[in-house]
Amino acid sequence: MSSHPWHPIAASHDLPFRHVFHGQLFGREFAVWRADDGYVNVWENRCLHRGVRLSIGVSDGRELKCQYHGWRYSNRTAGCTYIPAHPADAPARTITNRTFPAEERYGLVWSSLEEAAALPRVAGLDDANLLVLRGMPLNAPAALALAHLADYRFQPNNAIDSKEALVSIEAAEGFSIALRARSGSQETLAVFFVQPVDSSRSVIRGVLDRNAEGMVRNTILRHHNERLSALRDRVEREAAALPAAPPIEPVYESVAPELAEMPSLSASGRRAAITVQVARKWMTANDIAGFELRPIRGLLPTFQPGAHIDVHLPNGQIRQYSITNAPGETDSYTIGVKRERDSKGGSSCLHETVREGDLLAISEPRNNFPLRRDAVKTLFIAGGIGITPLIAMAQALSHMSLLSELHYFAQDETQLAFPERLATLGRALTSHLGLNPQATAAKLAELLVDYRPDMHAYLCGPAPMLEVARRIAAEKGWPDASVHFEYFKNTKAIDDSSSFEIALARSAVTLRVPAGSTILEVMRGNGIDMPSSCEQGACGTCVATVLEGEPDHQDVYLNDAEKRSGTKIMTCVSRACSARLVLDL
Amino acid sequence: MITLYDFELSGNCYKLRLLMSILGVEYKIVPVDFYPGREHKSATLLKLNPLGQLPIIDDDGLILRDAQAILVYLAARYDASGNWYPRDNPALLGEIGQWLAFADGITATASAARLHDGLFYDLDVEAARAGAHRLFRILDEHLWFGQQVGRDWICAADHPTISDIACFPYVLLSEEGGISRQDYPAIRRWGDRVKRVPGFIVMSGIFPAGPARAI
Repeated sequence: MSSHPWHPIAASHDLPFRHVFHGQLFGREFAVWRADDGYVNVWENRCLHRGVRLSIGVSDGRELKCQYHGWRYSNRTAGCTYIPAHPADAPARTITNRTFPAEERYGLVWSSLEEAAALPRVAGLDDANLLVLRGMPLNAPAALALAHLADYRFQPNNAIDSKEALVSIEAAEGFSIALRARSGSQETLAVFFVQPVDSSRSVIRGVLDRNAEGMVRNTILRHHNERLSALRDRVEREAAALPAAPPIEPVYESVAPELAEMPSLSASGRRAAITVQVARKWMTANDIAGFELRPIRGLLPTFQPGAHIDVHLPNGQIRQYSITNAPGETDSYTIGVKRERDSKGGSSCLHETVREGDLLAISEPRNNFPLRRDAVKTLFIAGGIGITPLIAMAQALSHMSLLSELHYFAQDETQLAFPERLATLGRALTSHLGLNPQATAAKLAELLVDYRPDMHAYLCGPAPMLEVARRIAAEKGWPDASVHFEYFKNTKAIDDSSSFEIALARSAVTLRVPAGSTILEVMRGNGIDMPSSCEQGACGTCVATVLEGEPDHQDVYLNDAEKRSGTKIMTCVSRACSARLVLDL
Repeated sequence: MITLYDFELSGNCYKLRLLMSILGVEYKIVPVDFYPGREHKSATLLKLNPLGQLPIIDDDGLILRDAQAILVYLAARYDASGNWYPRDNPALLGEIGQWLAFADGITATASAARLHDGLFYDLDVEAARAGAHRLFRILDEHLWFGQQVGRDWICAADHPTISDIACFPYVLLSEEGGISRQDYPAIRRWGDRVKRVPGFIVMSGIFPAGPARAI
């Protein structure tokens, strides 16, 4: 439509010193302010801290201060210079608001949503001698305003009260139209730029090719204001009869890639080593969102079926999600997130806050739920969102043509996640819909009835279902070593009242674990690094080998046989019954 | 001493606090539980104002209701400069009266929309918002043309008057009623100027401006 992306977003007189103007172009809002040195700042109209509009902020001529928590941003660079809540700290240089180009010409302030070549000259206008009309905002699309401007009638500057002038279109390009009015020997060129504010809002910004003084000037401005108001009323009436286009939803820019790739600060603990971008977010089932995570650069680390990643959420929480990918699908990780009604912020953050294009920090994949590929037959039993690790496993075995069955328990058809992946499993997939706990138990008993050596079962689902399935499997003769399970979370109440000593055999260190602290915390506090993930005894990442002593198991990761053997311990929640534990660390 | 029967979140009460702060008038406050208590409809308050509205002042036994009327009284009685309500300037007084009535229109529209959104009043909020936009267009045009001839305030004077105080609160609180001021840049600039009047105070929802540039 236009040969260049520049649009006027304000008049120069809209930017007195120490004022913050509220602008908008194609739905994107701007905070526009003139610094004391004259520089015109056109910024994204949101504070990087809490998203509050900076147009209600305070300009001190050098910095713009957000009204909410007082973050300050510098003239020109829009870099954050001060955070009142951290008075002793220098804000990271990465905290920089988005800026847009600004150009002041013809008494107007121009900007563009993209980096653009120089603002082109407008024929017939000269900066030194022109008259800027009052901007006329309309609740109508720019195109409609432009169409009506073609019929705009006005008088030349020095012939306001003369007989009605002849008006001709001198030029029309993109979002502008130039009209010349002639009456006798008098003529005036008026150039109108229509600023597309949003899909159904615009501002007519007119500039006349001659200035005037005193009362004449005022008369000219009134003349145009009256006629443009009348034009506005006509355009708005017509626009009101049209179906309203939805407002344009601007896409907020994610963090610049070079900033996103900065390594995490902590040397130990739960690292977020990889930055990924949400390439796709979609509802894969009722209340279950799929997220396709792509690397910013390079390749993602290898994952195995059953592996999970830690996702570091924008709200500061860390959550574990299984990778659902089929083998070889290594250009992205796809996770499924169920919206939990009693969400503590994890699932609701992913559902509501995280959008396509956002960057997320994730850990490298860890696999504490490994899949054997040597079973004579493999049973996968999924309850609800427990499908996610199992779907990766089932795809792996299916691709290798190994005998397996995936039994997917869900409320109804709309709850079945990743139907496109399930479809690849063919007859290996059976869904069990709408069963109550008794019917579920009966079905599980049916499925687990004929154990044969070298069969393996993999279970993932809600805790009550896993408890029942494990009990039934044991009753039907399945050895613990053949029944593999993954809990979403450890719902057991952790008793951390004991106090004991740990001796780390390889490190030749003995430490005291007091009541209220975990083995993991005590080791980390003494500089001993240890990987961890869920930190609630569900995922298995922080496992350690026990050489001596009696563990007090409080996790849901180890199976009963493993717990009885006393050779492994989850250092994030489990403790010691004995006074001393010797760990192979 | 003046007693103000006050509700903290009322723009009409705020405009009296604002003028008294600017004039340096001492006053004490009787907080009225306007919401949710509806104390302004209680027998005690109805005795002071049968209309069941705030604000009300009691100045040593003189009981007055209606924000605009009280502005007139306070300026006429307590403003030594004579600028806020210039008793000896009929043309200006007429103009002020005109804009005090306009302020009532703002209360009926922009304030009504805010009562709907904030305090759950049952009213036609779309009509209220449309009415406020109609008034804001008129005010913005008026202020814009004023600026063209070097006039910073609502009335034709080189200083603010009580008409500025009367119109200010519910214009500045309009967004709490879903009424954006984005299309009214001259109103937004005028808001900055009012905020820089010496003695200016804020209320919840009305933020301070930064200092003006030293000339």
